[in-house]
Amino acid sequence: MILLGFVDDVLDVPWRVKLLLPSIAALPLLMAYAGHTTIIIPKPLISYVGQEVLDLGWVYKLYMGLLAVFCTNSINIHAGLNGLEVGQTVVIASAILIHNLMQIGASSDPEYKQAHAFSIYLVQPLLATSLALLSYNWYPSSVFVGDTYTYFAGMTMAVVGILGHYSETLLIFFLPQVLNFLLSLPQLSGYVKCPRHRLPRFNPETGLLTGTRDGTLINFYLRMVGPKSEKTLCIHLLLVQALGCCFCFLLRYLLAGWYK
Amino acid sequence: MAARKRASAADTKPSPPPQTQETTTLIDPPIAPPKKALIFKFCLFFSIPYFYLLYQYYTIEQELRRSILINASLCVTGFFLTQRMIPVASRYVLKRGLFGFDINKKGTPQGTVKVPESLGIVVGIVFLVLAILFQYFNFTADSNWLVEYNAALASICFMILLGFVDDVLDVPWRVKLLLPSIAALPLLMAYAGHTTIIIPKPLISYVGQEVLDLGWVYKLYMGLLAVFCTNSINIHAGLNGLEVGQTVVIASAILIHNLMQIGASSDPEYKQAHAFSIYLVQPLLATSLALLSYNWYPSSVFVGDTYTYFAGMTMAVVGILGHYSETLLIFFLPQVLNFLLSLPQLSGYVKCPRHRLPRFNPETGLLTGTRDGTLINFYLRMVGPKSEKTLCIHLLLVQALGCCFCFLLRYLLAGWYK
Repeated sequence: MILLGFVDDVLDVPWRVKLLLPSIAALPLLMAYAGHTTIIIPKPLISYVGQEVLDLGWVYKLYMGLLAVFCTNSINIHAGLNGLEVGQTVVIASAILIHNLMQIGASSDPEYKQAHAFSIYLVQPLLATSLALLSYNWYPSSVFVGDTYTYFAGMTMAVVGILGHYSETLLIFFLPQVLNFLLSLPQLSGYVKCPRHRLPRFNPETGLLTGTRDGTLINFYLRMVGPKSEKTLCIHLLLVQALGCCFCFLLRYLLAGWYK
Repeated sequence: MAARKRASAADTKPSPPPQTQETTTLIDPPIAPPKKALIFKFCLFFSIPYFYLLYQYYTIEQELRRSILINASLCVTGFFLTQRMIPVASRYVLKRGLFGFDINKKGTPQGTVKVPESLGIVVGIVFLVLAILFQYFNFTADSNWLVEYNAALASICFMILLGFVDDVLDVPWRVKLLLPSIAALPLLMAYAGHTTIIIPKPLISYVGQEVLDLGWVYKLYMGLLAVFCTNSINIHAGLNGLEVGQTVVIASAILIHNLMQIGASSDPEYKQAHAFSIYLVQPLLATSLALLSYNWYPSSVFVGDTYTYFAGMTMAVVGILGHYSETLLIFFLPQVLNFLLSLPQLSGYVKCPRHRLPRFNPETGLLTGTRDGTLINFYLRMVGPKSEKTLCIHLLLVQALGCCFCFLLRYLLAGWYK
């Protein structure tokens, strides 16, 4: 994915190809994946499905591929402010790390602990190197990260979610990205006119950003709370991200036993 | 070494204003069509020993033969895919200023044509897709095979990335030397095979053992082999079609060697190691032939360090995992010679210019050997001035002769050596 992301940054490939790149990059994982392709049916739905455990087979692999495409591109479109791409990755990676540690501590199944340990061994390097990048990319940015970074970060998190078998938890960590994707759907699908950049409007005199009517979480948030400076806006959005992660932990705590 | 004048930052203009955009696309011609006849002739020539060995000369079991042929048909698809993608990629690469001018045509009209660089990226990506997809057809429960295979792919992928980064960012040569060792790390880390070598029979009395376990020294050797293969192809370059041509010759020799070893052996593990090598060399050969159809004289595209690093790493990887690295080094004999000839200049003992190419005479169209220490110049000083195309053909014949010499050596020394 790093290779394809860098090729994209250098050659500026058309966006339809951009969407396809993560599926190609995910191929080694899909081909080599020898683990189980079963899912545990949530307790309330067992009566409808008829089984406790359902083997999805190739559909599971399709899901893995789609998860990779989603994670990479969703981080890529929830971007445009100094420090937002790296910041959101740092927040989610920290949440993943905490989740992994909690799961290892609370479990006694060695295979389960191994899966979460595997995830830790990949998330810690992601977190450390991203923090180093953030030290240059935070407002005001001295460097930009490029598609290379957003694709790399998205793929890493998709990979640990898949191999650690906690992809539903991962998706709840990605709640703001999911919201942003849903808000963007009308423009991405072409239903509503989609400009080259969907960033908020910058006023050089006040130094504040104002939300436009584009369908992004950034613009939606600005329309709700009013014009903000770039730095404050980024901090707010990262707090929203962190809140989403806390909400996920709360949800898991409340639903434990009831859900699985 | 990329012997093309890299377009300086001053040359690349920012995106042109709308009214001239149409004229710009009219001025930039598409690249010349591929030289299909050349590739067809080679394939015809090579398929004779290939199918003869696979079907006639040896009895190879059905399963294995089926896997090899499935891999081969996948590679044929890869060939056509690469051939289709190269013109597409060329447009993007030119747009972003990744092009060079052909130094060996300086002074002629062709010396002013912008030739797209780094088309090795297309070869690399198609190779990876082929190699990854092949796992689906050869999926065994043997997790060890999968680990080694994916470690090999990780190393090759890492090398393609570093090669492309080098082409784009033009890293200093000291870093260039280091890149293959970094890229070889996945292979070194995941290598769980034996680190023993079989002592040649004549030396057993000196060493005292038949088999010597080298441990970490073997891994060091693996790393150095990767550094050597990549950089030696990179410096034995500069003529249209030389880099890809030498890779095609060596890869064909490797393939024949693998088939012969599979046929002549009865040890399943040994056969598996050589089959593994075939599964990676066939895609290399197929995609390289597609690139050669554009890169052969006169070159429509240049391959960039991306290609030379990718090719060198792939061959080092198959040599290591197939356990035939000494044979591989003899296939690399011209590259070894070139390296030894280059040592005085590379080490700084003798003054080393930016390009060590032969001197081109625009009037005669011939190249004359300079006093630089490269195989190209040495050969030219021996046989006299040659045109670029003839010289390249000669050097590739030298490469092929070296490979035949290796086969002869193995035949003569079998039993005596091991």
